[in-house]
Amino acid sequence: MKRNYVREPLGEMKTMYEAYNEAMVELAKKNSNIVLIYGDFARGSVAELFQKDYPDRIYDFGIAEANVVTAAAGLAGGGKIPFTHAHAIFTVGRAYNQIRQNVAFDRLNVKIVLCATAGVLVPFMGGSHQTIEDIAALRVIPNLVLVSPADPVETKKITRAVAEYVGPVAIRLSSSPVPTIYTEEYPFELGKAVILLDGGDATIIATGIMLVDSLEAADILAKQGINVRLLDMHTIKPIDEKAIISAAKETGAIVTVEDGSIIGGLGGAVAEVVVENYSVPVKRIGIRDRFGQSGTIDELKKEYGLTAQDIAKAVKEVIEKKKSSR
Amino acid sequence: MAYDEKLIKELEGKAKILRRDAIEMIKAGGFGWVGGSFSQADIVTALYFHRMKHDPQNPEWEDRDRLIVSKAHCCETVYAALGEAGYFPKEEFSSYGKFGATLQAHTERIVPGVEYSGGSLGQGLSFALGEALAARISAPKDKSGRPLPRFRVFCILGDGECDEGQVWEAAMAAAHYKVDNLTAFVDHNEFQSTGEISVRMTLEPLPEKWRAFGWDVTEIDGHNFTEILSSLERADKILDKPHAIIAHTVKCKGVPSFEHKNLHFCKLTDDMYAEAMKALK
Repeated sequence: MKRNYVREPLGEMKTMYEAYNEAMVELAKKNSNIVLIYGDFARGSVAELFQKDYPDRIYDFGIAEANVVTAAAGLAGGGKIPFTHAHAIFTVGRAYNQIRQNVAFDRLNVKIVLCATAGVLVPFMGGSHQTIEDIAALRVIPNLVLVSPADPVETKKITRAVAEYVGPVAIRLSSSPVPTIYTEEYPFELGKAVILLDGGDATIIATGIMLVDSLEAADILAKQGINVRLLDMHTIKPIDEKAIISAAKETGAIVTVEDGSIIGGLGGAVAEVVVENYSVPVKRIGIRDRFGQSGTIDELKKEYGLTAQDIAKAVKEVIEKKKSSR
Repeated sequence: MAYDEKLIKELEGKAKILRRDAIEMIKAGGFGWVGGSFSQADIVTALYFHRMKHDPQNPEWEDRDRLIVSKAHCCETVYAALGEAGYFPKEEFSSYGKFGATLQAHTERIVPGVEYSGGSLGQGLSFALGEALAARISAPKDKSGRPLPRFRVFCILGDGECDEGQVWEAAMAAAHYKVDNLTAFVDHNEFQSTGEISVRMTLEPLPEKWRAFGWDVTEIDGHNFTEILSSLERADKILDKPHAIIAHTVKCKGVPSFEHKNLHFCKLTDDMYAEAMKALK
């Protein structure tokens, strides 16, 4: 089956943060209102550019996430477009009320970059740093757009779209290098899921770092004669309800895939749309109400049921449920 | 520093109008934060009617000075000031706190003239810091290369509010970045919601704390306009440090029988209303 917009073979490994920096370098030059704020977080290539050429547009507020987010809101009040950078877990956790009250409440034009520790697939650092709750906690805040890129190409397109969008956005970036999945030509649109595979037996809806494992799962299933639709849900909020409902109607079974908690995460979001519009069997792959722990990415995937094999197994389960309910 | 008596009298007169209008607002809404609204009223008056560069006919003017009222529950005297200045018609006062009103129970940016949607204490100073930084970005520079900020930012914090850790995050950052166009008043009325601050959570030595964080600090009588104006003028002149003005104030100042009582958030009875209006004649 044809793989839309997918590089054959997959391209170079790169971290999303590096790709984000590459996009920001161009954006910074075009838009003099962009200001960078860091919470003692590693800067990246764009910071070097700013330190040299735009020193009054870059600030580090130290290990103080609450001040990082609210001062960014103040900068937006003063007409600037601030991008904040701090660990995902501490931004969501320690500056939650600030995101809600100082940014989202008034729809201020602040871009909150959740760096390095979005999701549980963070190597070595352990449970205090692995964010299981970012999607669940943020999508319940009104006015806040939440995006979750899957590869370096998508990260750049998202960054450009986010800079142009007027309003609060949170961008979740994983810490580990990911392969480049997409060709440059793929048509990115904020709020519109990408259809990489258009099979009819079931749908996998994945986000972020889990897209590449979902592609692998699709390959495993194809060899067994099962053809899935694969959706990249890069915009968690506002979620592409149309794509979810079409998937339910046209394929009859859905598996959601994320590296955060299924409670309220992407799995919760998709289930909400399905239950209200067109009920079909849904299985959620993700963290099942546990904290993370130290380990390599591969060890963590195995431990928390996030491998391509786990995804393929879940697809077969929902197909069985689909058949038995007929 | 001496000021023209006429100016002082004018400001005292304005402050009385603000207190009266605040009482009317609270009467119409039924509830309000009398104590803290009244303790800050003279500072609010000095800012809107003397010190701040602003235009009620143009609330979006990019180079306007900003006031961030971090203790946003004390909204009544702020709304009174904005109505008196002409940001919106005074007829709006009677809608305070009611369903569908622009004048919500805590100040919000939907009100013309309000810069900050408060209610969650401890965050306003960070917001003020961000605004103050925005004024410095791409600003013209003086001969020594120091930016000439496009506007000044003022902030009013409660003393109880200084319990919140984020206040000190902002204080640290403001001093680090030498944000000298930022001036924060602490409305030091010695009370917080449930009682005296000395009992709830020891704040003293408060001026020393701000000094230790690298701020330029003045202490004033927050109800003496000469002192308020002097402290503002001084803050304008001192460079490379943000400014904290610790204003010793009296909760409910302006209605002698209410003063020193912790009328933090209260229902205004007919008797209280009558007493207040008599005192504010």
